[in-house]
Amino acid sequence: MTFGFAPDIVRLWKKHVSKTDKTGVRLMKLEVNQVGKRFGNRTVLGEINLSVRAHEFVCILGHSGCGKSTLLNMVAGYLLPDRGAITVDGQLVKGPSKARGMVFQDHALFPWLTILDNIAFGPSVQKKPKAAAREIAMQYLKLVGLEQAAASYPAELSGGMKQRVGIARALASQPDILLMDEPFGALDVLTRETMRVELQKICSQLKPTVLFVTHSISEAVYLADRVVVMKHGEIAGIFEVDIKQPRTSHSAGFGEMMSRIECVLMDDAQLELVAKVGT
Amino acid sequence: MNEAKLPTMKEAAAPPLAQAPDQEQPVNPTLPAPRLRAQGKWSRFLQKYNLLPTLLFFVIWELFSRLNASIELFNPRFLPAPSVLVQEAWRLAESGVLLESIAASTVRILIGFVIGCVAAVGIGVLMSKFRLVELWFSPILNLVGPIPALALLPLFIIWFGIGEFPKILLIAWTTFIPVLVYTVDGFKSVPSTLIRSALSLGASERQVFMRVMLPSAIPNFLVGAQVSLGLSFSALIVSEMMGADSGLGYIIVDARNYFKITNMFVAIILIGLEYSLFAYALRLVERRVMAWRKGGLRDAVEK
Repeated sequence: MTFGFAPDIVRLWKKHVSKTDKTGVRLMKLEVNQVGKRFGNRTVLGEINLSVRAHEFVCILGHSGCGKSTLLNMVAGYLLPDRGAITVDGQLVKGPSKARGMVFQDHALFPWLTILDNIAFGPSVQKKPKAAAREIAMQYLKLVGLEQAAASYPAELSGGMKQRVGIARALASQPDILLMDEPFGALDVLTRETMRVELQKICSQLKPTVLFVTHSISEAVYLADRVVVMKHGEIAGIFEVDIKQPRTSHSAGFGEMMSRIECVLMDDAQLELVAKVGT
Repeated sequence: MNEAKLPTMKEAAAPPLAQAPDQEQPVNPTLPAPRLRAQGKWSRFLQKYNLLPTLLFFVIWELFSRLNASIELFNPRFLPAPSVLVQEAWRLAESGVLLESIAASTVRILIGFVIGCVAAVGIGVLMSKFRLVELWFSPILNLVGPIPALALLPLFIIWFGIGEFPKILLIAWTTFIPVLVYTVDGFKSVPSTLIRSALSLGASERQVFMRVMLPSAIPNFLVGAQVSLGLSFSALIVSEMMGADSGLGYIIVDARNYFKITNMFVAIILIGLEYSLFAYALRLVERRVMAWRKGGLRDAVEK
């Protein structure tokens, strides 16, 4: 399944993402400032400092339970930090907003709406007339290569197709930042690979700012400009990935980057084992 | 009755491929062709609506009643044959009693059921939107809800007299409780990711309610409506048995007073038919509203 070239959307997005302020500085910068979060007496996030530039693709990588999803949910505005502040362009994040689009692991499509109406949901709640909203939705559907499924319901689609719709739906309201919470986590390995390639293609066309949570090292290295490794509620390391896109696992430096990240992710017992067994 | 009807309606969409060609082919060349075709049409009609079990039921009843009339296992008046019932129904229909009773019952159940559903959805919405309403309402509902509505009828009659009002109130009340319980449950079990994604797409709180909470509570509401339909029918019949002068329930009481058992049977069968019609209409609504829903055994395993 390939996705269509969608010049209209690309033009729209170029205009959208190149919004600048009076001094010509590109707007949109996400700042996470000394953010901490506790659930009861369990500390989920210690003290997180992170800043994301415009057009940057940042992957947050870590084991399950390391607080990466909590951090993403706070950026989305679903959870509020106990300490510190999250700001976008200096504006404090106080709740969910269309400026921060979310793609969920369980895709969270509305089961009673057709695929087209699912994607049109964003434009239509933002007071676009119905026909216009549908037209926008159709363009995004073409972008993810699913125009023939426009009239189907989510229950009739495969996991990978649902997630494409999820991505198209998030993009259709033109968010400043696209947040993705393990979007390919529920997919099989083969579908994951194709979805990865397609997401990379979409990003190279539209150049959105993306914060992507995953527990797959190869996925992070494949997609990210920068990989943020989290461990026990703290940032354990940040890696700039400057391998030229499009990447494959055979790209120069790919394997090396993966093993460097793996070392940070492993706990002490595993490291001892590696030392004992040798290389 | 209706239970048996529904699955076959689904099948009706796809013609029974396996059997149809068999019947079309002239298996026995000695049979004249037109008769064969007519036969095929008949059996296909029976199959389409799954009428055979119902037909057989009435045939056995008829035979048994006639047998009983001759050997007198018990008083033949206690179980009149369906053919006698049809004659009696025709007589009643001609006198206009039947149509009048059906109309009276239908109007009562329609008004009562709709009022009950609307009130339940309204209160359900308030309960899920305002915590205070839920806090004050649910203990009282837990207290009053389990009381069988029929126990309230004599009280309603004393309070409101024997007119239409206490009857409709009783039907509305029996509808109200299950629909409310299911609807509130529906509002509570909306997946949080759906609400989150709507918010992230720019929906206001009102839009989240109208476009996410309401549609995802509809399946639950429909289950509640189906559950309460049976209950509200019994409320209808009982309320017509006490202090009424029209309706199908009234026919039964009247027939008991004059020992007209055939009339009783006619009314009973009509109640069953009317309930089936209502339940079928509700299922049609359900199928229309929930076209998006897949699942169940039929989709789980292909046979």
